[in-house]
Formats: sequence, C-alpha cells, structure tokens
Amino acid sequence: MLLPWEYGVRNLARRPIHSGLTLFALTTVTLLIFVVVGFIRGLERSLAVSGDPNVMLVYSLTSEENIENSSISAQIPDLLAASLSATVKHFGITHHSPELYLGSRVTTADQSPGLGLVRGVTPTAPLVRRTVRMTEGTWPQPGEVMVGRLAATKLGVPTEVLKIGNQIEMEGQAWQISGTFAAEGASFESEIWCDLSDLQTATKRQDLSLVAMLLKDRTASSEVDLFCMERKDLELRAVRESEYYQTLQQHYRPVRILGWLIVGLVATAGIFAGLNLMYGALAGRIRELAMLQVLGYKRVAILVSVVQEGLVLASAASLIAGTFAVCWINGLTVRFTMGAFALRIDSLAILSGCAVGLLLGILGALPPALKALHASVAINLKAV
Amino acid sequence: MALVELQNVSKQFTKGEQTITPLDHIDLHIAEGEFVSLMGPSGSGKSTLLNLVSGIDRPDSGSIVVNGTDISQLSRGKLADWRAKNLGYIFQTHNLIPVLTAYENIELPTLLLKQTAQERQRRVQLAMEAVGLSDRADHYPRQLSGGQEQRVGIARAIVTHPKIVVADEPTGSLDVNTSQQIQVLLQRLNQQLGITMLMVTHDTEVASIASRQLRLDQGKFVDERSSTSTFCEGGQSDA
Repeated sequence: MLLPWEYGVRNLARRPIHSGLTLFALTTVTLLIFVVVGFIRGLERSLAVSGDPNVMLVYSLTSEENIENSSISAQIPDLLAASLSATVKHFGITHHSPELYLGSRVTTADQSPGLGLVRGVTPTAPLVRRTVRMTEGTWPQPGEVMVGRLAATKLGVPTEVLKIGNQIEMEGQAWQISGTFAAEGASFESEIWCDLSDLQTATKRQDLSLVAMLLKDRTASSEVDLFCMERKDLELRAVRESEYYQTLQQHYRPVRILGWLIVGLVATAGIFAGLNLMYGALAGRIRELAMLQVLGYKRVAILVSVVQEGLVLASAASLIAGTFAVCWINGLTVRFTMGAFALRIDSLAILSGCAVGLLLGILGALPPALKALHASVAINLKAV
Repeated sequence: MALVELQNVSKQFTKGEQTITPLDHIDLHIAEGEFVSLMGPSGSGKSTLLNLVSGIDRPDSGSIVVNGTDISQLSRGKLADWRAKNLGYIFQTHNLIPVLTAYENIELPTLLLKQTAQERQRRVQLAMEAVGLSDRADHYPRQLSGGQEQRVGIARAIVTHPKIVVADEPTGSLDVNTSQQIQVLLQRLNQQLGITMLMVTHDTEVASIASRQLRLDQGKFVDERSSTSTFCEGGQSDA
C-alpha cells in the first residue's frame, strides 16, 4: 500500500525555500538540455532540408567538397542543357540554375562589417531551388539584392538593418535591398542573392561556381554522372544535392556528438545537484520515515513516495522549462560557418528535455531515499 | 494463553570491540488486556525489549510470539504487514507528520488495512473521540499543544484496533499536568477498551498506572510488582 499522494506533494511545501531552489536548479538544467537538443535538431534540419534529391549540382572537380572554391566556365550551363535530356524543361525553359557562390565581406547600414554568403543567380533559380519563396519585396534588379530570412543572423546584425530599402556594401559597391525570401529552413535562408551578371561584374569574374539542375527523376542522375566522366577536359563533378548536404552533415558530426556530450554532462551535473538537494531534504526526515515503517508502511512504499516528491518537482521543472523553450527558445537563430539556422524545439527535443528532467527527479531522489531506509528502524527512530 | 510470549530472548550489540547485551535470556508473558510498564536505568534494555515486541528489531536467540505468531521468524515485508494489523506505537516525541492534519495523521495507519472509506472514517472519528480531540481534526501539528499532539499520537496508535499498543516514554516530553492527563487517558484506554499495553518509562509515578510493573537491569528482569504490591527484588511475581 502506497502513502497518500498528498503526503508527497505537501512535503514539498515543508521547506519552501529548499523546494524552490531545487525547482530552480532542475528547471535550469532541463532548459539547458532543451537549448542543446534544440541546437542539434536545428542544425540537423537545416542541413537535411537543404538537399533536394532531384537536384544535381555540377561543379569543379578540383574544389573537393567546397563549392565556394569551385570555378567552372560560364559556358557549362549551355553545354549541359544541350547535351543532357535528364534536366526538366517546361515551355522551352531548362530548369537549371547557373550560380556564383562566394563568401564576401558585407557592410550593413549600421556600418557593421560581417562575412556574408552571397549567391549570384538568374531568374531560373527558383525553378531549381524549389523551397525558396519571396516573402516581401521584388526580385533583385541590377544593383539590388534580396536577403534570406536568416541573413541578418549570419552577419550578426539586427533584422531591421536588412529591411527592404536599406543599403549594404559588398565587393566594393553599394547594393539596395529589394526583397526578402525564406526557404523552409534550408541553408539558403542565411544567404544574400543578387543578379548573377551583376555579381560577376562586381567581382570581376566571368566564371561560375556551379550549375544546379532539376532532374526529371532520380534515376536521371546517371546521365549527368556519365557526362562528367566522359568530358574529362571540363574537369567537372556531379553530386546529388541531398548527398552533398549529407556529406556536410558528416562534417558537423563532431559538433552533434559534442552537443549530445553536453546533454550528458549537464544531465549528470543536474543529477548530482538533485542528489545534494534531496539528501538535504531527507536528512531531516529520517525519524519520520522510520515512524512510517513502524506504522506498517513497507520500504518500497516510502521509496515510491520520496521518488514521487522528486518527480513532482521534476515535472514542474520540465513543464516550466518546456514552456519557456517552446515560447522563447524555439526559432532563435544561431550563426555557424555555413550560414545560420534556427534552434528547433521539436517533439524529439521536448521528449529529450522532459525525459532528462524526469530522470533527474528519479535519480536525484533514489539514493538519498535508499540511504535513509537502509539503516535499522530502531536506530532511525532515535535520529535527531 | 498469553497474548505476548517471550522465551529465552537474547540480544547483543557490538560497539567497536565491546559487546553489549541489553537482553540476556529473558522470558516475559503479557496477558490480553494487561497493562505492563517497563522501568530501568538507561541501557538496561527497555527500548530493545520494546523494539523486539514491536517487530522493528530481531532477537539473536529465543522466540517472540504475539497473538499466536512468532514474529521473530517473519520476513521484513511480513513484519510490516503484521505491525499494520496488530501493533499500535506511541512515541515519546509524537512523531506526527507536520504536513498532515490531525485527522490525516490518525488515518495514516488505517490506509494499510482493507477497509472502506466509510469504515476508515468511522474508526478515525472514534479514535479522536476516545482521546477527546474531535474538534481538532483539521488542525496541523504546529497548531496543537504538546499534550494534544500526544493525544493525536495515541489516537493514531489505537485507530486500527491493534492487539497490543506499545508506548515508548509517552509522557517523557510533557509537563506535569499534561503528563497526568495522558496517564489518565492511557489507563482509561486499557480499562475501558481493554487494549493491551506495554509501556517504557523512567517515571515511577507513570509506571504505577500499569497493572504490572517490571524493572530491567543489565538485560534481566530484576523486579516485578502488580499495582497492588510493592517491588520485590531479584525475581518475578504473578500480577
């Protein structure tokens, strides 16, 4: 037979400051878990949604996996269009996107310099980059740029600095912001897009970084591969966009492992904090626990009641931290080398945070309860 | 047949290299409805004997039979069940749970018995009436005086209608007046409700309310007297 629920709950009000501190500690630890898991999930999602399996990237063989270092001839898009039947064509328009992609120093209206990711594109880009949607303003004309939803985060400036009509400076010339776009969380959201030829003029380059092609179906990639292998003189390589981002995911694997390691360390620290607080809470109740045993309550019933106390606190902490995370942490943007992404408090993050929170309650309460119940009842009845 | 039978019971403790023998091959018989008090100097074995009869400690040798059950042979879990059904315990320091009301404190042992909510409520009310605390049901221990707290402790001990109630210096932390009220209450519970009691006390006056008074020293009974006789040294007499 278990002890009444009220006993466990009301015990928390017995030492309000102590319970308050425990709640604060548990909430802080659980919130940290939410932030770290949200970071990992946001990074994973950003890279996962960036890759379209129907899109093939063709870029320089010598650039390894870094497209920013790629340089291919400006004639390659036309050559590909003429040679391949695998690319989608509608109304005579080939769905391919010649792009110049580079990292550039960008100075914003508030004179803050930052390293931005700039992509010179043609009007066919949205036909291939199908997640991209204009959210405000117009497509950039010469001397204009449009900025992604997270471009401000990538540059480390407030969002207002990149509002439509403001100017930025890059590659030695001023550009006016004509529009903004979103891309369902893909990495494009942290980029600045402008007209391809405009960017080529500004950078005094005539080459391209890559050609992105929308294939008719996934099997059509072999035709592109074959073309790249046959035309060794062009020194091209082709990779499916989803595979490219999967490779990048591998690059960020240490970051993800580190994230989970932090989750483990924070949780361990939380358990020790919980242990310390619960030892303190139970130290003054040893005689009471012995008295309950004298009345006929079994040790397991008392153990459950003590764990119940820890669980009530942990549940409250998880609820507070979860609410805070969903309302204020979810969607917070973070900069990283490849751009920026939003912290993502999704179902897995909520599950992880709450599970760790509840685990803190159980593991924090068990050892002190076991210790208090281990000694003989007769001895514990004399405890001060 | 006696309700409580201790036969050849011994208990030893080891403290460093020293071996202490609080109980040394003792026999004790307590009849149903009897009120027995235990006296003796500190370390004489009173509390050890009380703990053994309560089933919260085990003897090194001998047997303890209470109401036909040899409790020295029961497992820890079975002993807990046995205590819930057969034992009431009155503590010196009340040991009430501060976050529960007087009513809830008294109700606590009844939750272990298979009873309906109505039966539990009836028993708690009867116990509260028996100790004269019906009007304090919703009070928390901090809102009660020392005497009232001890009454709640007594009500908690008798609420399950146990076979035996043991009391460990029940007046030890009370002033003279309150102590007398508690003595009267314990005597009344024994005489009117027929509750079998075993009480440890240091106070001769408190001990005198019992129908039989035993004195322990160095692990052995050295005196025994009934309420109508005086202590006789070195042996036991029938009450």
